[in-house]
Amino acid sequence: MKTIVISRFSAVFFAAALFLTGGMAVSASAETAAENYSLYCVQCHGTAGTGKGINAPFLAVAPRNHSDAKAMGELSDANVALAIKEGGSAVGKSTQMPSWKHNLTDAEITDIVAHLRKMCKCTGAAK
Amino acid sequence: MIKRGITVFALALLLAVPAAFAADGGAIVKKCGSCHKLTGPAVKTIAEVKARKAPDLFYAGSKFNKDWLVGFLQNPTVIRPAGTVYANHIKTTGDTDTVAPAPKCESKLSAGDAAAAADYLMTLKDAKMKTGVAKVGEFSKAKAKMLIIKTEACNGCHSIEGNGGLSCPTWEGIGKRLNPDWVYSFVQDPQYWDPKVWMGKRELDDASMQLIVNYIASQK
Ligand code: HEC
Ligand code: HEC
Repeated sequence: MKTIVISRFSAVFFAAALFLTGGMAVSASAETAAENYSLYCVQCHGTAGTGKGINAPFLAVAPRNHSDAKAMGELSDANVALAIKEGGSAVGKSTQMPSWKHNLTDAEITDIVAHLRKMCKCTGAAK
Repeated sequence: MIKRGITVFALALLLAVPAAFAADGGAIVKKCGSCHKLTGPAVKTIAEVKARKAPDLFYAGSKFNKDWLVGFLQNPTVIRPAGTVYANHIKTTGDTDTVAPAPKCESKLSAGDAAAAADYLMTLKDAKMKTGVAKVGEFSKAKAKMLIIKTEACNGCHSIEGNGGLSCPTWEGIGKRLNPDWVYSFVQDPQYWDPKVWMGKRELDDASMQLIVNYIASQK
């Protein structure tokens, strides 16, 4: 009985503490893959996903064409997820592909990989 | 005796009049709320970000240098070449995106009103931001550019020395515009200020942060 009271108290306390420490750094809510792509990726990869975003002319390396079945098909799902999470340098590619691990949760990255597979109409290489 | 008292009182009133006529910065800035968010917290969803008409001003006192504000409020310049939220101002031809015309800041204050509005905006501070963190002084410009262009590729999204991406604020004159302590805080954790901002958070040590902050401060 006593433990129940304590745990109930601590749950309330914890919730209150979370609420109070929220401040400006409120945890962001999950978004659909299309919505995330439209804000984070379109600036370089473009609205059509073909690598022709408004920033593309200024990049030393062309952004991957996400509708290219051959090029995207050569990348495994794990490789694509790693490139998104840790950036191009983690997969031996250009640092002009940034890391998105602080903008996107792992679940959101998994959704984006599925979204990219629809864009390329391709499946990822094994491994 | 009474008469003299009245004269002194009238004189005091007369002296107080100019203060009463001085522009009320808070009242001026309140009107800017039709476009700018003047109270926190920042929005938390992409849909809300896309509905944003103008940059948030509720932490203006932490973000800007006052002198820059006074000038900008009289004669605004373009800071974000593709508008406040680039995703709202794209023109697509075939499969190629270019920048569509975007609304600019409509502040057109007189010198006196701009000074009063800037005074008020400088009181809108974020209580948690650490100050005195940025150490602006001597730095290696070559090392800074190596980090900014080669390692972090900031020019992918920002125009730096006249060349770079269009989706984010230009670095032209950025040293006049921004408080170095705010730059330090924003680069370390952009999502603290704007949970869905389209700039990634980086893991940089203090030495790297100081190079970036110094380079930015030098862009006048
Ligand atoms: C600042 C511009 C920029 C942004 C923003 C950006 N990318 Fe990239 N991306 C690139 C560049 C440049 C490359 C090509 C790198 C190379 O080939 O060396 C690339 C490559 C990729 C690749 C291929 C990686 C590989 O192993 O070949 C994937 C997948 C990718 N980006 C997904 C995304 C997704 C998803 C987003 C949004 C969350 C995104 N990118 C945002 C610039 C960007
Ligand atoms: C019609 C909408 C509109 C009104 C009204 C307006 N602004 Fe703006 N303001 C903008 C836009 C859009 C920008 C972004 C400009 C850019 O980045 O190029 C902006 C930018 C700014 C900036 C720079 C913000 C930053 O983060 O770089 C400040 C400061 C500012 N406005 C202050 C004001 C003040 C003060 C007023 C009222 C006197 C005002 N604005 C009225 C639309 C507006």
